[in-house]
Amino acid sequence: MAITDKVFSGDTLRVGYRFQRHWDNSMAYAFFFAEVGGGLFFVSLLLNSVMGMVLGLIMVSTGKPYFHLAHMGVPTKAWRAMLRPDRSWISRGLLGLGAMIGTGVLYVIALSFGDQLGIAADSGLVWLLKVSSAVFCLVVMSYQGFAMSHSSAISIWNSAIMPMSSLLYSLTIGVAVAMVIVSDDQANSLAGTQLLLFMGLGIMHLMFLHGGWHGSPGAKTSVELLLQTLYTKWYLGLVIAIGIILPALLLWAMPGSKVVAIIAAASTLAGFLAWRILIFKIGVYEPIMSMNPFHTAN
Amino acid sequence: MAKMGMVFDLKACIGCNACVIACKQENSLPDGVFFTKTLSEEYGVFPMANRVYIPTICNHCEDAPCEKVCPSGATYTREDGIVMVDDDKCIGCSSCSVACPYDQRTQMDAENFLKGLFGTGEITPFEEQGYGRYTPGTVTKCDFCSQRVDVGLDPACVVTCPTNARIFGDLDNPDSAPAKMIRERHGRPPMPEKNTKPKVFYVN
Repeated sequence: MAITDKVFSGDTLRVGYRFQRHWDNSMAYAFFFAEVGGGLFFVSLLLNSVMGMVLGLIMVSTGKPYFHLAHMGVPTKAWRAMLRPDRSWISRGLLGLGAMIGTGVLYVIALSFGDQLGIAADSGLVWLLKVSSAVFCLVVMSYQGFAMSHSSAISIWNSAIMPMSSLLYSLTIGVAVAMVIVSDDQANSLAGTQLLLFMGLGIMHLMFLHGGWHGSPGAKTSVELLLQTLYTKWYLGLVIAIGIILPALLLWAMPGSKVVAIIAAASTLAGFLAWRILIFKIGVYEPIMSMNPFHTAN
Repeated sequence: MAKMGMVFDLKACIGCNACVIACKQENSLPDGVFFTKTLSEEYGVFPMANRVYIPTICNHCEDAPCEKVCPSGATYTREDGIVMVDDDKCIGCSSCSVACPYDQRTQMDAENFLKGLFGTGEITPFEEQGYGRYTPGTVTKCDFCSQRVDVGLDPACVVTCPTNARIFGDLDNPDSAPAKMIRERHGRPPMPEKNTKPKVFYVN
């Protein structure tokens, strides 16, 4: 059955696919800021770039909560979201976010003002702060993917590719932005890693499309929405061509140029933002039940 | 312990939507918000064309995905199996709405309470007294009219149905009407592949 023949019932009273509409663009922006900020902090932590760490922390502690609260129905009770880490990825992520910001800020302070405070840069405390902030940062970089894959309702999200996508995109963006911030030598040393990450993203997208196409009817419908509807130009044009292929080609052709690094970072960010929005837009609930003896869901 | 559930008799349902109206009235639901819907599906070609009505409702799953993902503990299951939402604890994050395979949850935006049932922007006395039970921004859903079940009554949609297409009762009691119907007419749950163990069944 072609995508044009499928019934999308929306809010009507017909049996059919229904678009996911509960998580809107606000959530997409919140996810975007968490993963960009987390990735930048993580990569900067490895490179000892205080500027990158500060930028990452700012993104994670401002953009992420702002857009989350904008989405939330009762923002005054937002603190309650951390009450069930035993079963909810939202709770786990929020706790990880708080811990990352706390340990991250302390690490940056120790690194920047250690001399005045009498804390040696190679002390056990600083090392502990570095390791713990890195671990919590990995939680922030990946938990949103787990929150999505945990939902069996939206078939295209219900896959191990979601957390992998979060982590991979977060790392790629982190490296892309870090290449703009750090010294030329460090940037040059990152070019090879970045090309490998772009390859990883390409493979991840192929796995995502393949898994969805051969998955449940709802997952296949989501892939069809990406490849056969008005979303196609955004997916293939922005997410794949501008977000992955263009920066990879630029970095491969001119690895040492700062201008290229800036263009590559901007295009990767644009592609990632488009991916975050599209992945929410293509989410569909499957028809609740069909009594139609001729019904073929896929 | 009781396990309250419902059976929909698809042969009996005539798609009159009386259940939908009764639900909206009992729960004082604002414009555009439904706890139950009667979906329709057409199939076949003339002269063999046909239409079937499929009532839908929260399935009060035993393994409720909405409860598992709720970060604030607002969604919980009562001892009689009815899945509830505690307004005071709900933060309106919509995680439950995204996790429900049946798309049976609705966020009560503040605007829902301002439009008025007649679209004039004026709130009628009926709405005024009814809307007080909701907290704007929270997520709500069918609770099998728990306030009625608590005093031994059936949900409003069940008592209103003119064709007895909705049968409510204790699924754990083999002599209850829904348990018998599921057994005798091979009731099947919606989307069993989602492994949520719904307590709502369909018979045809």
